[in-house]
Amino acid sequence: MRPDIVVAGIGETTPVPADSRSIPEMVLEAVEAALADAGIGHRDLDAVTTASVDMFDGITASNIAVTEVVGAVMKPEARISADGLTAVAHAACQIWSGAYETVLVAAHAKTSIAPHRDLTQWALDPIHVQPLGVDFLTCAGLQARLLADRDPGAERRWAEIAAKRRGGAMSPDRILASPLVASPLRLGMCAVPGDGASAVVLRAKKKGIGGPILAGIGYDLEPHALGDRDLTRWSGLERALDRAGKTAGFEGRRPHFDLAEPSCLFPHEEELFVAAADLDEMTEISPDGGLLAGYIPIVAGLSRMTSATRYFRRNRKAGALALVHGTWGPAAQGQVVAILGGAAS
Amino acid sequence: MRPAAIIGTGQTDHAKSRDDVSQPELVREAASRALADAGLRPSEVDAIIIGNMEMFEGRALPELWVGEGGFANRKPCLKIATGGTSGTSSCIAGFHQAASGVFDIVLVVGFEKHSEGQTQTGMALTDPFWDRGVASGALGNFALSISQYMAERGVTPEQAARVAVKSRRNAAKNPHAHLKDANATVADVLASKVLAHPVRLMDMCPQSDGAAAIVVASAERAKKLCSRPAWVKAATTRHEQPYIGDIDRRLLSMRTLRDASRSVYATAGIREPLKQLDVAEIYEPVTYAELAWYEILGFCSEGQAGRLIEDGVTEIGGELPVNPSGGVLCANPVGATGVIRVAEAASQILGRAGAHQIEGAKTALVTGYGVYAWADAMILGSEP
Amino acid sequence: MTERISVQIEMNQSWRYASGAAMERFADGLRQKRIEALRCGGCGRRYLPPRPVCGNCHLHLSEWVPVADQGVVEAWTVVYLPFLDGRTGEIRKGPYGMALIRLDGADTTLNHYLAEADPTRLAVGLRARAVWRDELRGAIDDIRHFEVMR
Repeated sequence: MRPDIVVAGIGETTPVPADSRSIPEMVLEAVEAALADAGIGHRDLDAVTTASVDMFDGITASNIAVTEVVGAVMKPEARISADGLTAVAHAACQIWSGAYETVLVAAHAKTSIAPHRDLTQWALDPIHVQPLGVDFLTCAGLQARLLADRDPGAERRWAEIAAKRRGGAMSPDRILASPLVASPLRLGMCAVPGDGASAVVLRAKKKGIGGPILAGIGYDLEPHALGDRDLTRWSGLERALDRAGKTAGFEGRRPHFDLAEPSCLFPHEEELFVAAADLDEMTEISPDGGLLAGYIPIVAGLSRMTSATRYFRRNRKAGALALVHGTWGPAAQGQVVAILGGAAS
Repeated sequence: MRPAAIIGTGQTDHAKSRDDVSQPELVREAASRALADAGLRPSEVDAIIIGNMEMFEGRALPELWVGEGGFANRKPCLKIATGGTSGTSSCIAGFHQAASGVFDIVLVVGFEKHSEGQTQTGMALTDPFWDRGVASGALGNFALSISQYMAERGVTPEQAARVAVKSRRNAAKNPHAHLKDANATVADVLASKVLAHPVRLMDMCPQSDGAAAIVVASAERAKKLCSRPAWVKAATTRHEQPYIGDIDRRLLSMRTLRDASRSVYATAGIREPLKQLDVAEIYEPVTYAELAWYEILGFCSEGQAGRLIEDGVTEIGGELPVNPSGGVLCANPVGATGVIRVAEAASQILGRAGAHQIEGAKTALVTGYGVYAWADAMILGSEP
Repeated sequence: MTERISVQIEMNQSWRYASGAAMERFADGLRQKRIEALRCGGCGRRYLPPRPVCGNCHLHLSEWVPVADQGVVEAWTVVYLPFLDGRTGEIRKGPYGMALIRLDGADTTLNHYLAEADPTRLAVGLRARAVWRDELRGAIDDIRHFEVMR
């Protein structure tokens, strides 16, 4: 039998457009907060799984910058270069395999140190796509265009979603009047990138260790070429969710989620998310606001997990479930989900 | 860790330049060979792990583009990479995934296409405030460590040259090897030009294009699918502090490799490595390192590594063949190199190592090395 | 024989790295030819370059100790192969000497150049002292190289 996994501690920096600290300083804050929150020290860690992207950090083997601050000296460290929630998924496998009992997961990125859009070009097929100057924003625009062209009300709805996610700071009309960045996407519809780090402590459940249960994980990689995908839906999320449901024991059925914390960088993505996850109106989506007002690549999915954990600490409802979500790649080519269950006693 | 086993391996023919294939095609070559070796169809793969140091090719998130080559479309796929240990750490991640109960069949593919990038540029992107301005790549780092090793343990260039000779001659039996020479001699090595004192051209690993893949199965599936799986008896990792000057006497004491190997020996019940190990595939980026690691891995006592190789103990046919494949010295596509070590060790236990098969190999040691003294170690065995 | 197609893409990318508070102080010191290390309150190890925590003890580092600009050559080599300088983007041609130098007062070693390219004149245990540039910018290459003290 697999051990239950508890989210024993969380910590993160406040996302800001530009963090003047070095990467180790920034990650240290998140790690120390998570360890303190879990009531453990670095000596209690069996292993660390980190998430970072060399091209974004401008450092080869970028995890070397954080080895000391994440407590990985003379310890096992695995490093994944994708959304931080995939590091949670992998750490879960590590604990379920019996290899480790206590794993720290940490993710970081600083979009302020280089033009992030430009860096994303280096992820695109260098033979057929990159030479055209395509980046992740272009791909999002292409998907949005496909959706808008078959749905005349879409742009207005997106403006309303974006206005809500920005906490009323911009009205839907102002959003619709903001400059086009990748038609039909407007500046007001795009998540604002920044700097930050998040960390989570996962522990095999034992007496005395409390927190929400990480019930299931699932992830998926869509084909890379946009033309090979059905861009009207997030089928990658559907598959990831099916896999997560399976590991959580929900064979074949989609459970009701009390909370959803998606990683949506544009309002059209929120609609794709709701459709793929088949959510009903009772599900609360990103009560903290979500990512539109500020997001950090690689950290995003992990920060959705910390948000969901805080939700469980506020709302102790037996049997509550949360859907936590992360993405990476052009038009969310990579999708990852975690299912969190209500507080463990 | 719950049991998991390797049931198939595959490699490309590693070369200075594989301009006949794109990166996804290079991945596909190794992936399809591993699946064929395992007797599986791509649809039977539950998860894929890609190992690659994409800065060497000037890429970001490489699995997005090359994943298709690894049959990753619409499947769970992650890229795991940790410098030189990328290959071994990807394999260890594969073991964890296959042992987790979440996935039954995990395909791990490591690859590198150095010819398509600027490796020196990639290597230069170290810590921006410190190491970057003074570093002279991996070569400089090794040369520095070697001066300490020579000063303290008295190893000679001739003894180091024997490692290169062993590698080249072993590689002549390995169809995948990049550098091979059945007639290599110590004189050849000592005549090759000095790159950074005392490291000569033939002491140093090459940069290669290549890919390698392993298929890891859960215990249940391994028993069903394979008559002689290579079981993962133990596997662990140790990372180090971040600056080159942090690490005391790296080749002499390398606490990470020492601790990692002690840990896997203890888990696997290895008390006398020379006797109990049948074969070792260790990650030797330079000849002198292999000698230093004979000592750290407990094959001999301190200062005796030169004797060990002079006595032929680590040759094919010796008491403990080390790198019968030819090792890193004969092929080094960085993201794949660690996977090659695992694949070679596994194929020894699977009985599929062909011309460089060690008869009756039942217990294998694998190590990975990367960055400044990061270490992986694992024991593979014929029994679950 | 079909011709191979290749797609050339040139990368011209720069990043603005944040140094961190401790490195800022260290760099300021270099401008005054002052070298310092951070001493761990747990294990006592004196670290160059500075960093936020001791990786072994996981204690915050805050105690600055002075370090001399001379010390012992713990490891050395002479590099013959040309190498890309990661800071200037220029190719550095060999032969040039390099060493790991344990400066008096520090426990970690400093990787730097040696003004000696004859391997017969180099050995572990020699002492070396820094030769500073005339213009100091607050970077580790404010030290041009180390010269062996004979």
